[in-house]
Amino acid sequence: MAATARGRGAHRIAAAGVVTGAVLLLALLALPIVVLLIRGGIPGLGQLGADHELRAALWLTAQTATIATLLTVLLGTPLAYLLARARMPAGALVGALLDLPLLIPHPVAGMALLLAFGRASPAGAALAQLGLAVVGSRTGIVLAMLFVAAPLYVSAAREAIARVDERYESVARTLGDSPMRAAWRVTRPLAGRGLLAAAVVMWARAISEFGAIVILTYNPKVASVLSYDRFTGEGLEAALPVAAVLVILALVPLLVLRSLRAGTALGEPAR
Amino acid sequence: MIAVEALRSRAGAFVLRDVTFSLPAGAWGIVLGSAGSGKTTLLETIAGVRRAESGRVLLRGADVTRVPPERRGVGIVYQHALLFPHLTVEENVRYGADEPDYAVALARRLGAGQLLTRGVRELSGGERQMVALARALAPRPDILLLDEPLAAVDPRGRTRLRRELRALQRELSLTVLHVTHDFGEAGTLGDLAILLDEGRMVQAAAPETLFRRPASAAAAEFLGAENVFAGSATPLAPGSDDEAGTMQFHAGSLTLVGVGETGAVAHAVIRGEDVVLARERGGTTSARNVLDGVVVEVVAHGALARVTLEVEGLPLVASVTAGSVSELGLLPGSRAVATIKATAVHLC
Repeated sequence: MAATARGRGAHRIAAAGVVTGAVLLLALLALPIVVLLIRGGIPGLGQLGADHELRAALWLTAQTATIATLLTVLLGTPLAYLLARARMPAGALVGALLDLPLLIPHPVAGMALLLAFGRASPAGAALAQLGLAVVGSRTGIVLAMLFVAAPLYVSAAREAIARVDERYESVARTLGDSPMRAAWRVTRPLAGRGLLAAAVVMWARAISEFGAIVILTYNPKVASVLSYDRFTGEGLEAALPVAAVLVILALVPLLVLRSLRAGTALGEPAR
Repeated sequence: MIAVEALRSRAGAFVLRDVTFSLPAGAWGIVLGSAGSGKTTLLETIAGVRRAESGRVLLRGADVTRVPPERRGVGIVYQHALLFPHLTVEENVRYGADEPDYAVALARRLGAGQLLTRGVRELSGGERQMVALARALAPRPDILLLDEPLAAVDPRGRTRLRRELRALQRELSLTVLHVTHDFGEAGTLGDLAILLDEGRMVQAAAPETLFRRPASAAAAEFLGAENVFAGSATPLAPGSDDEAGTMQFHAGSLTLVGVGETGAVAHAVIRGEDVVLARERGGTTSARNVLDGVVVEVVAHGALARVTLEVEGLPLVASVTAGSVSELGLLPGSRAVATIKATAVHLC
């Protein structure tokens, strides 16, 4: 009896510890955002009408993040497909390479991009010839966003495609489809929700990027750079509305993502 | 016609190897084997959705080993139907059809006419397989590969689907290769039965031959032979007028006369239905094996019963009707005589 009572006591202590830990972590994650929104949300939204620079930065952020996302969807989906279907030579190595941009500090990513695509580099010079100078331009912003966020898309898209039973494609092939046509007619729609979710994650990551962008393109300013600029130039109070609006902007893809995840995955084999 | 020659194929770490058989045009081939024996891998390699590492696949006499699946003219139906879940039944059926009207007519013929506008998630197991069958046949293939299509179907639907399959095969002159676990299907549908075990082909023969003359003890046990005895065989004395391959088999103190291929014989296989039981010896019989035993167990299976005798210290199982059990008064402990023809004792 005494042992049972002791066991129950230990169980309660352990349960209380787990709950406390979870609450602490949640508070740590949520508190700064909540405070930021309370302090800067209303002023930020109010400022939108009058603050031309803020509006322009938000528009530029949304525009460049969308372009980076579209480019990644276009180029990254076939790559994700090849990785998911294990049809890429050295797929494990490619997978590791894709993870690399996620692991390096983002200012370092900016420096690497500057070295590879800056004016002094052959690739940068070639791009400049085409009117796509990377430094101090929208192109640089798109490139930085793409570099840091595309791996997220490819990784999530690969998982979404891998969840679709490959035998659907096999059936489509026996029904006359070429490999590409089978992937387009069967796997793409079945993985569609997952691909869209991957694109939303990438877009959200792109709009919040700062470190790589600030190295390549300080001006024109995206919202994150404007927020930093006002913080360093005018102080915390001046930066708060910009930062809060950026958080609100980031909530949009979060809500979209939640609604996508709430739906039923189509790709699971019908049984 | 489907023929494979020394086929080798891989599915992950699993390797299918040394598969060789030939199924004539318009015939029905059955592929048997335990789970993981390579049945699906074989079908997928013939369909072309899995690459052959070596060997050849011949369809209609032409080597198609390197031909992509979309140009092989082969339909495939998987166990779980694998209907495209983002399409309606009609869209599924018309997916690969050059003639959409034919596809829809086929679906109606198979009883899926009422289902055409439905989503595939609303269908029962039997309905799904009907739709999958219509989808596979809509492009008018002359070769159909079936991967346990009846396994997920309820017994009533299974009977109907089996009947439709047989009728369609005759009408459309299809060559069918059918993976199944059901020995009944193998017996009633098959012209050729192919037995796989752990990625290797054990035997390819007419179903009757496969069941009566399995290539090995393992094959016999997989095919449901009730009696498999390990032992050794010696040729019968010269001058005997027995048919070729007749040998005397010894397992402990049990001696049997049986028939087998010459060579190393290590097992005697007797199907339960070939063991005839009586209460006592008597009357004339041409059977070469008459064995005295004691009933140790009687297990009823509906109209049939499985009676186990102890004969010379070994268990001998007989499949008899429940009526025979009561007629002969076969109860545990009672004596009985088992009679087995030499041709029913397969030595392998």
